[in-house]
Amino acid sequence: MSVDAISLLLLGVGYLALLFGCGVAVERGWVSVRITRHPAVYTLALGVYASAWAIYGSIEFAASSGFGYLAYYLGAAGAFLLAPVLLVPIQRITRTYQLASLADLFAFRFRSRWAGLLVTLVSLLAVLPLLGIQVKTLGEAVDVMTQSTRGSDVSLLLCVIIAAFAVFFGARHSHLHARHDTLLAAIAFESIIKLVAMLTLGAVALWGVFDGPQHLQQWLGSEGQALQTQTSKLEPAHWRTLLLLFFAAAFLMPHLFHITFAESLSRYTLLQASWTLPLFLLLMALPVPLIWWAAQAQADAPITLPAYAAYMIHTHPWVGALAFLGGLAAASGTMIMISLALSGMVLNHIVLVASPPEARTDLYGWLRWLRRGLIVSVIISGWLFYTGVGRHQDLTTLGLAAFVGMAQCLPGMLALLYWPGANRNGMVAGLLAGALIWLWGLWLPLFVATPVPTLPFTPLLPPDSPLWYQVTLLSLVANIVLLISVSLFSRTSEGEKSAAEACSVDAVIRSKRLPLEAATVDDFTTHLAQALGDEAAHREVNRALMALHITHQERRPYALRRLRDRIQANLSGLMGPSVARDIVDRYLPYRHDDAPVTDDIQFVESRLEAYRSRLTGLARELDGLRRHHRQTLTHLPVGLCVFGDDSELLMWNQALTKLSGISGESVIGSRRDSLPEPWPTLLGRALESNNAPLYKQPAHLHGRDYFLTLHKADLSGDDSRGGSVVLIEDHSEMKRLEDELVHAARLASIGQLAAGVAHEIGNPITGISSLAQNLRYDTDDPILLETADHIQTLTQRVTKIVNSLVGFAHGGRQTVPLPRDPVNLTTISEDALHLIHLARSGEDVTLTNACSKAIVVRGDAQRLTQVMVNLLGNARDACAPSGHVTISAGIDGHHAWWQVNDDGHGIDPTVRDRLFEPFTTTKPAGEGTGLGLSLAYQIITEHQGKIDVASPPPGHSRGTAITLWLPLYQQDDITPHGQDSDC
Amino acid sequence: MYVYRIMLFLVFGGYLLSPLLMNGWGNPDIAWYRPFLIWGGLIALTVWLEQKRKLDER
Repeated sequence: MSVDAISLLLLGVGYLALLFGCGVAVERGWVSVRITRHPAVYTLALGVYASAWAIYGSIEFAASSGFGYLAYYLGAAGAFLLAPVLLVPIQRITRTYQLASLADLFAFRFRSRWAGLLVTLVSLLAVLPLLGIQVKTLGEAVDVMTQSTRGSDVSLLLCVIIAAFAVFFGARHSHLHARHDTLLAAIAFESIIKLVAMLTLGAVALWGVFDGPQHLQQWLGSEGQALQTQTSKLEPAHWRTLLLLFFAAAFLMPHLFHITFAESLSRYTLLQASWTLPLFLLLMALPVPLIWWAAQAQADAPITLPAYAAYMIHTHPWVGALAFLGGLAAASGTMIMISLALSGMVLNHIVLVASPPEARTDLYGWLRWLRRGLIVSVIISGWLFYTGVGRHQDLTTLGLAAFVGMAQCLPGMLALLYWPGANRNGMVAGLLAGALIWLWGLWLPLFVATPVPTLPFTPLLPPDSPLWYQVTLLSLVANIVLLISVSLFSRTSEGEKSAAEACSVDAVIRSKRLPLEAATVDDFTTHLAQALGDEAAHREVNRALMALHITHQERRPYALRRLRDRIQANLSGLMGPSVARDIVDRYLPYRHDDAPVTDDIQFVESRLEAYRSRLTGLARELDGLRRHHRQTLTHLPVGLCVFGDDSELLMWNQALTKLSGISGESVIGSRRDSLPEPWPTLLGRALESNNAPLYKQPAHLHGRDYFLTLHKADLSGDDSRGGSVVLIEDHSEMKRLEDELVHAARLASIGQLAAGVAHEIGNPITGISSLAQNLRYDTDDPILLETADHIQTLTQRVTKIVNSLVGFAHGGRQTVPLPRDPVNLTTISEDALHLIHLARSGEDVTLTNACSKAIVVRGDAQRLTQVMVNLLGNARDACAPSGHVTISAGIDGHHAWWQVNDDGHGIDPTVRDRLFEPFTTTKPAGEGTGLGLSLAYQIITEHQGKIDVASPPPGHSRGTAITLWLPLYQQDDITPHGQDSDC
Repeated sequence: MYVYRIMLFLVFGGYLLSPLLMNGWGNPDIAWYRPFLIWGGLIALTVWLEQKRKLDER
């Protein structure tokens, strides 16, 4: 088979143009988001694991080691089968702290720039052979198909197009953790192409070369059997080591780490990939032996280039073209993702660490261009590696050099997840030792033709074991031993301990409640602008605010601490954890004053709530117990709040929310002094008290007066995190009842006093009345006779009042039976007006009797006059000079209404509810007793009537209308006998 | 979480026993597709465990 190089180039360029078209279609929204964000797209994107090694290297490996080639697929499948316990915890950390690469993760966990730098260098060196494999397969496939040596040039041209694609679609965002829908869709498309290519080639082999599975089995038992005996079988130890290498590669390789964690949709998508990716790999692996056996069956002589067996199974050019397209799809996808991932690592851990960003106007643009340059450099370095080194090595040698190198990060990664005791010294020592052994044993020999000196301790291994096996074992053993021993015998910093807790599986960060220098959101922007420039600072702060759903007005220390953490995480996605930590520590520092430092319980609880479904066994039981206690406090029918030693509010239960009208979510995390009034003062008094309750403290809450009793207890003890708990009871109702009791007692005292006074007044009044009677007999002067009449009328009124007071003092019972005489309301209205005119005050108020017809009610005229005099007196006092008071009356059914209307200032709202209570008055002391309306109420009630008060009356803006309802007089009314008597 | 333990058991058990897979290459008494059948069975088991995990965490 010989194909024109130009045709092959056009095929390759055409395919990459199709890839561009696919990217543009997704970018422009021509493809539904439901498709681009479907979990299947994510799984197919993870299929980038199946690089050119899966298309060519696996066949080469199958040719030499039989089913040993399966290690490449089964290792990765094993890693994803363990997704719930291995990948999901890593995903949690990378998402929480916006870590986009393995170097970011190591730098974050071990709080060391050196850790990040070392991992970046190891990744860079390990990935170079893998990049070389991609370019090499492209070049050699061209050589094989064209029977020429033009492969190197064609591969360079394809590399340039691939680099352009990576720059165009992969470096749009400055944030490395930003999800690239377009890129993922394109990589998924490439996975479909390579899967279809492999399955088609497998089908051609199975049904085109053989006559189906049965015929293949027969061939393997006859002429094929002799050929298979030439294939060596892997030693179990070698096989297991290979499985381990590919297991590690599945999530440690920079491009796979990037797709698995930086681009993943959700935890559930990742969990779904735990079986969908193994299924994809199964389909990719299945055609490999078929292609190899078909090539063997077709070949007349031993195959010299087994990696390219796919080109030999059929003479039809389209079979070769399909194999080429499958290889190109695998290689381009791998190169794109490796270049993106490595460029981020180099940028964050080498470039930005060596040259930290300064406040510049276009920080994001500067970072984007740096990334683009690095992407191109990475892809071109792959081509250089191929032309300089790779073309002289087989795929297996190059692949093993890459995978053993990346496996050096495995001990550190496992310690990161499962051993909080590991520290940066141990990690750096272990990784350095392992990487040096790997470089010496496998990487350097790629460049140096002569064999390197034997490694120490290799005599401990079987003499015939291959070099890669010896290097793998020695490097990993040295790595693990140093990691453990150095970690055990060296000091771990506080920062590392905190990061270790953040990274450990099932561990919850015990964040500290430290006060921040920045007290407002604006302070954050101002301080950050010194490092990032105004525009970037505003954008980063706004981004963090939006993510946390908090406002610019937020001042709660708890919320500001979360804002700081979020900004650090976002900056980590932009510039890596080391630079982000430096910026945040320098420009948004904590205040180190004498305030006590305690755990951020609120944060711990929110984390526990988030991870609740993942807790098991005793931890789950304890969490259930914690939730039970919290619910008990939350639903306690008494107000409860908890403060830390630094006066930060930690709890605000439902009863307190109802009482105060302030929701817990809006105030938890605040300082006591920033709570709405009157709580700072009230709670301050309670917290400063010596555990003695504060009884019935007055408080004005949402327009009402309350009386609250506060109990405080200090939270102390061996395991206590300090602080105080305050219980707040609403004793307003109890206080009201107490006041009423006191008031009633006061009334009873005054009643007794009034009875005594009334008794004493009765005698002189009787004397005055007698003297007035005598005066009538002693004179004929009409003026004196009228005066005597008035004196007698008034003394009768005084007697009635005295009797009323005595009656009131005796529990409201009348001393004399109520008469049931006919009473003309018009007449007594006139009498009342006459009497009120005798008073000297209020002479400029117009009093009008508008009772036009005779309305007769039953009752006591004297007492009803007294009622009207009292009402008129109040109405006149309420009016301004030149005011009007009108008396009117009418009939409604069996009752008469009798109304006093004024246009005065109306009734004070504060006394409206107790208007008819004795001693209720708004007049100045000495001008009113507060008994008038009370007596009026009592008299009208005794007349089986009622009083309505409207202030202001309907349809008026001011004034008062008091309406008395009295039963009409009936001819058959009979005066009752001995109704009540004074005992 | 108990489901996770089953997965751990499966993966480590498979890791230890997996060298047996290689015996099938070139052996006419063993169907050439046997490793893939075992692998497919393992995937089916994982799907079942995944469903069980979802119910467990609900």
